[in-house]
Amino acid sequence: MSTERTSPVDAATATIGDGVSYVQTKLEVFEGDRLGQIGLVILAVFLFVGIFARPYTLELLDLTIPGLAPHDPTERAVGGRLEGPSADHPFGTTDMGRDVLSQLIAGTRVTLLVGSLAAFMAVFIGTNVGLISAYFGGWVDDTLMRITDVVYGVPFLPFAIVLVAILGSSLFNIILAIVLILWRSTARVIRSQVLSHKQRPYVESAQAIGAGHVRIMYRHILPNVLPLTFLYAAFAVAWAVIAEASLSFLGFGDPDMLSWGEMIYNVYTANAIREAWWWVFPPGIAIMLFVMAVFFIGRTLEKEVNPELQHQ
Amino acid sequence: MTLLDINGLKTYYRADDGWVRATDDASLSIERGETVGLVGESGSGKTTLAKSIIRLLPDNAEIRDGSIEFEGTEVTDLSDRELRKQIRWSEISMIPQNAMNGFDPVYTVGEQIVEVVTYHENDTSKAEARERARDLFDDLGIDPDRVDDYPHQFSGGMAQRAMIALALSLSPSLVLADEPTTALDVVIQDRILDTIKEMQTEINSAMIMVTHDMSVVSETCDRIAVVYGGRIVEIADAETIITNPRHPYTLGLRNAFPDISDDDQELISIPGTPPDLVDPGEGCRFAPRCPFAREECWKATPETESYGNGHRVKCHRADEIDYLQEEAGKKSTWHDQELGRPSDDTAPIGGDQKAESEVELDD
Amino acid sequence: MGLRAYVVRRLLQLVVTFWAFFTLLFVLFRMMPGDPTSMFIMDGMTPEQREQRIAELGLDQPLYVQYVEYLQQLLTGDFGQSFIYNDPVIDIITVRFMNTIVLMGTALFFAYVIGITFGALMGWWRDSRFERGGIVVTLMARSSPEFWVGIVLLVVFVFWLGWFPSSGMRTTGGELGGGFVARYGSLDFLHHLFLPALTGAIVYLATPTLLMRSTMLDVLNADFIEIKKAEGLPERTVLYKHAARNSILPIVTVAAIATGAAMGGSVVIETVFNWPGMGREMVSAVNQNDYPLAMAAFFLMGSVVIIMNFVADLLYVYLDPRVEYE
Repeated sequence: MSTERTSPVDAATATIGDGVSYVQTKLEVFEGDRLGQIGLVILAVFLFVGIFARPYTLELLDLTIPGLAPHDPTERAVGGRLEGPSADHPFGTTDMGRDVLSQLIAGTRVTLLVGSLAAFMAVFIGTNVGLISAYFGGWVDDTLMRITDVVYGVPFLPFAIVLVAILGSSLFNIILAIVLILWRSTARVIRSQVLSHKQRPYVESAQAIGAGHVRIMYRHILPNVLPLTFLYAAFAVAWAVIAEASLSFLGFGDPDMLSWGEMIYNVYTANAIREAWWWVFPPGIAIMLFVMAVFFIGRTLEKEVNPELQHQ
Repeated sequence: MTLLDINGLKTYYRADDGWVRATDDASLSIERGETVGLVGESGSGKTTLAKSIIRLLPDNAEIRDGSIEFEGTEVTDLSDRELRKQIRWSEISMIPQNAMNGFDPVYTVGEQIVEVVTYHENDTSKAEARERARDLFDDLGIDPDRVDDYPHQFSGGMAQRAMIALALSLSPSLVLADEPTTALDVVIQDRILDTIKEMQTEINSAMIMVTHDMSVVSETCDRIAVVYGGRIVEIADAETIITNPRHPYTLGLRNAFPDISDDDQELISIPGTPPDLVDPGEGCRFAPRCPFAREECWKATPETESYGNGHRVKCHRADEIDYLQEEAGKKSTWHDQELGRPSDDTAPIGGDQKAESEVELDD
Repeated sequence: MGLRAYVVRRLLQLVVTFWAFFTLLFVLFRMMPGDPTSMFIMDGMTPEQREQRIAELGLDQPLYVQYVEYLQQLLTGDFGQSFIYNDPVIDIITVRFMNTIVLMGTALFFAYVIGITFGALMGWWRDSRFERGGIVVTLMARSSPEFWVGIVLLVVFVFWLGWFPSSGMRTTGGELGGGFVARYGSLDFLHHLFLPALTGAIVYLATPTLLMRSTMLDVLNADFIEIKKAEGLPERTVLYKHAARNSILPIVTVAAIATGAAMGGSVVIETVFNWPGMGREMVSAVNQNDYPLAMAAFFLMGSVVIIMNFVADLLYVYLDPRVEYE
């Protein structure tokens, strides 16, 4: 062994290498899983579209990266009103003459935003609650689980409607409403996982060498339940997107951020549902595709969590 | 007439890269009322052999060749329906390894005995079947009222007895016992084995006892068949197998189960791992792990040699019984060998004097 | 601890849960930021009217007094007066509630019957094209928000094909009186019920199908299934009496949770098809600031969910002889 210290560059390269191989091992699960691969591709496409939906201007470099949307989604009368698909407007126009395709592309951002933020926060809360509840047991567990029971008793959509009605229909409030309910399933599942891990020898030995509670929970147990967390994060994304779409469809969406659900709401209020099929179908299909992709990926992740499922 | 006659049975599993020859040209016959042990390691093919008799095989398994004659009927020719109605359970039943898991957890044990009895015996009413279940429990040392208990309510040993009751409820001619005592602790093992023997004699049913445990077969079986690599490498009456075996693998197995009363005995294991049975090709399957393997062992599949009294062995060197038995008892024989096929100029252990001196020189 | 003691214990927990739920409602509807009175004071009221209203509703009282009064009102079923209808909320709600129950109940029933059968068959015929196609179709159904399925059905079957009526529970001018059977058994009613119920069924069948399938796959690997086959029992007996019966247990729990989703879903489906149920009523009540009505609707939906969760707990314990009553 050499006594030289490793240079910072080497250390950085090593960490990157570790990260890459970690991701690689995670991606291995997708090997041979046709559905999972399709899900990844679809998701990647949406991600790309979402990021590059609108133009970016970099002042420093005096560079503008063009957006994917052919028109400004909010600009009225770029085309005639309620026109069917044409060369200029592949998905036609709205009742205000706005380009549907551009709206669709721009709406991707809302979907991605809501999906990732809501899912992350919900799973973050849920995992912590489950972990703490299971690890400490006793009255902590009882209280936390009773709270979870109550949250389970609250119907998702009605609650979100009420909350948004009271607080106002901003995207933030919508995400808040979603998160406040969505954490419950992660909490229960993580709790039961941690309960079984609590009995295992590695926890005992950690306690024996005097490791503190926080250390045991987060450095020892957490890494073991992390795959389950990822799995539930995937499902949370799906539910969050569907929830936001439903809320927007009912008219509680953020008026400034046009989401796919809101597009359909607009069709409804414009009373155009009978004729404007070009306006109605694309956003709905987009929602379906996005959520389906997430579910496909979730199924693949499930195999890692549950090795017995591998034969499926 | 022989109860069961298996001839040249070949049961293969379809794998991604070919056929796994789980049972390859196995022959075995069983008389009424006799107990035959099938001994071998995990993966030896003993379980596949036993389950092939009633075609209890997964979807990717196939009986490729051979015949299985049960009381004169060719079982492999029977349709699924005929097999189910005529043979399964009513003639040939099974005792699984873990009795508690052998029962459906959501029905009582009694209900499950009644289910199989009323299915096979059209004239028996539910009440009669229930009475029979109670009688069986009584005979097996279980409180008859427990027929209304659920499987999870039984202890390991009791569950095994309940399983025996289920297996014998139609008084079959043959019972396949698949590691019936492996899941139990030693004390209970003994009692269960006694119980099995008792009931067996009562209804005069034959038994195939599949196990890896030599001590179990030595106690309970009339004859013992040693299975390795999908083949029956040696078969004889129990006494002969225990005291006077001829096949190196049997000799090795003996070593792994020492006599508890003998302080000096060493535990000698057989090094190496079971063979990969995907298209294994010619030659003796034990050659890779056999300390006595010679060139011919790798090239030619051993033929069956008979040594009287139904003692049959598949080994090229079966004649050299005294030499083999002596060497097999030494730890060095097994653990100093280089596993694998020898090249032409290095001779393995044994053989004639000339070969021995050659080995010493090369070292 | 025997079954009875367990039930009692769970009942007590149920009471606690309900109390927590009521309190949550109270907090939600009265303590949110912003002017709480603005929620139930309508625009266009003179200052005196406002004050009178505030006094009427007891909003000038300290919070804890309001809370106690609130609990009292809830327990006596007094939900106050609806602003838009000017009738006691309780009268309006009960009718709507029945309509929702009929709609979602039908949807859930079909979702589960189809789902369980489909899932069991998918598990039995593993690795077949039927199974693989089934998975994709099921996931497609699950990925579609309720309103989307509803809209697609609406556009295809009502606007394009004209096979079904577009909205409501019955054709206008039809029989409104009559008993239960006349209301819910008529052909006209069923004609109106079909599409919205189908929407619900499609959306909700994904979970039981996938769950049944995966549980079946686990169960089919179990030792006792092999023994049942060795016993010579026919395939159908093994599949239904043994494999499916063992796989049903988790579905029971899920079914209760599904009722919760269904309550939420009713909001959407009823809006799409203009079905006069609790969900649609709640949305319009919220939009028009009719707080008594909105709160009552929310209260009812939540209560259904809590009770169904409780029922599922009991059912599970009853169906699985292995579960101990801790």
